[in-house]
Amino acid sequence: MRESVKDKLFSGSLTLILCLFAMVAVVPLLNVVAMAFSSKSAADMNIVNLLPVGFTLDSWKYILSDAGIWRAFLISLVTTLTGTVLALIITAFTAYPLSKKEFKPGRFIMMIVVGTMIFKAPVVPYFLTLRNLGLYNNILVLILPHVLSAYNLTIMRTFFKQFPAEVEEAAKIDGCGLFRILFKIVLPSSKAVLATVGLFYAVTMWNQFQHPVMFIQNTNLFPLQMKIRQLINGGSDFANISVVANVNYSEATLSAATVVFAIVPIILIYPWLQKYFEKGAMLGSVKG
Amino acid sequence: MKEKKKNSFVYDIKKYWPYYVMVILGLVFFTVFKYIPMFGSVIAFQDYSVFQGILGSEWVGLKHIKSLLTYPDFSRIFTNTLVLGLLKVVVVFPVPVILSLMLNEVKNRHVKKAIQTAVYIPYFLSWVIVGGLIFDIFGVGGLFNNIRSFFGMNLLLPMQKESWFRPIYVISSIWKEAGWGTVVYLAAISGIDPALYESSAIDGASRIQRMRYITIPLLIPTVLTMFLLNIGSFLELGFEQVYNLLTPMTYSVGDIFDTYVYRVGIQQAQYSFTTAVGLFQSTVGLILVVTFNKLANKFSEDGGLW
Repeated sequence: MRESVKDKLFSGSLTLILCLFAMVAVVPLLNVVAMAFSSKSAADMNIVNLLPVGFTLDSWKYILSDAGIWRAFLISLVTTLTGTVLALIITAFTAYPLSKKEFKPGRFIMMIVVGTMIFKAPVVPYFLTLRNLGLYNNILVLILPHVLSAYNLTIMRTFFKQFPAEVEEAAKIDGCGLFRILFKIVLPSSKAVLATVGLFYAVTMWNQFQHPVMFIQNTNLFPLQMKIRQLINGGSDFANISVVANVNYSEATLSAATVVFAIVPIILIYPWLQKYFEKGAMLGSVKG
Repeated sequence: MKEKKKNSFVYDIKKYWPYYVMVILGLVFFTVFKYIPMFGSVIAFQDYSVFQGILGSEWVGLKHIKSLLTYPDFSRIFTNTLVLGLLKVVVVFPVPVILSLMLNEVKNRHVKKAIQTAVYIPYFLSWVIVGGLIFDIFGVGGLFNNIRSFFGMNLLLPMQKESWFRPIYVISSIWKEAGWGTVVYLAAISGIDPALYESSAIDGASRIQRMRYITIPLLIPTVLTMFLLNIGSFLELGFEQVYNLLTPMTYSVGDIFDTYVYRVGIQQAQYSFTTAVGLFQSTVGLILVVTFNKLANKFSEDGGLW
């Protein structure tokens, strides 16, 4: 296809605008990274923009020697990992029968699922119900409310529906039970959808804030997001610590280092996030 | 006949019993975490006391619903919720549509991929992080004020200013979610038959004309469906976003249903009244979702949520 000058100009200028937009997406991140590696005096003089000024690791030494932040990190890590495994099992278990015509109550159960998308229970009775179950100040509140979601259930059900029925029929004739068919035949060939849905759950649990802020008062049980909010919101002693003479960090550099600390895990798995989330967005738009 | 039906049901359970076992956990989940709280909403019609529970608390009928409508706080949070919801539909919604139209015109695949990689990142950060970044950027010594002082302007702290809360809400929504929002539209665009573009190019159509007469008309159904679903979830502004951008100085414009219910209901333990507030919100939400989902289904076969 031959491109005219006008076409080139058009596409060139749009590309330029998009590059600017991409920069806007990244600049705040560069800024916070720069701040995390800058010296106290540079931070106090407000001269840190996109590159560290007076490069130092002192904020990091302080942050990484804080047992509290590691504790919160571990709580988030452990709850996210166990929660994701649990969520995948429960979602697969629920989605599989719902993808089968032979399962007669399926239609009714789907109505129950859709019902939860239409009418959202008010927050206060939700809070009271979970508190009565003993989930207040209980680390399980970071896991149990997230082990199934109507959206992920729909994605998996759609995927299972497209699974070739002949393969399952053949296994049945060979005397395979339905549990064995699910575990030995269906799930092993569903790795893509399991990865997608698993990452959806993992990001939700890692980033969650509403449940911990409602249910967790005990600072020893804070997950990472709560800890970060506590640290950067002045509710901490960052301001006091950095007033002490001869340290090379300030409230600003410590907050920045904390934020970077929480972003690193997401950036590390970002290639997979991008790949599988795109897949999920496509799957989610096709209903079964 | 009836006997036969019953028998086939028993036969079904015998044959497919593993299916029945598999769904048990899912059913328990929906019962405990969705339906019990839904029925727990009856405390909106009681003077609920934690010690007496739902069964022992006194029934007061519509007392809380009535006081809600005359309560000055209520009209404030209702207005705030409406304004932010409108801004989200009118200002934030079109951004990913425009971005994906633009992305479609980027010729170099690697440049396109790089732009996508950059604009998707913020979507994966939590609102705590995004809130922290926004407070940093707009704080003393943040980029915003560094740029202002470069141009000789005074220090300005938008996070503490009422008039800035709504723009900040819009900016943060766009920054975090607009990039990711392009995924759906780009998928729709990539589904357009390339033959259309080829034949129009042979006829001498420019890139602008191809966008105007092929891409945009064929993208409109997707946009409209997304738009209807968006209006359907109008009241769901996201507790996490607003809570992490709010300061006591901006309550008057930024306090919405979700933050109000959290503060007054859960922190100050006014359970019955805030359940009435929540019930109002859920009911309006129900009407909106059902109506607009119906419209979305009418408009395109597979458009609605269900």
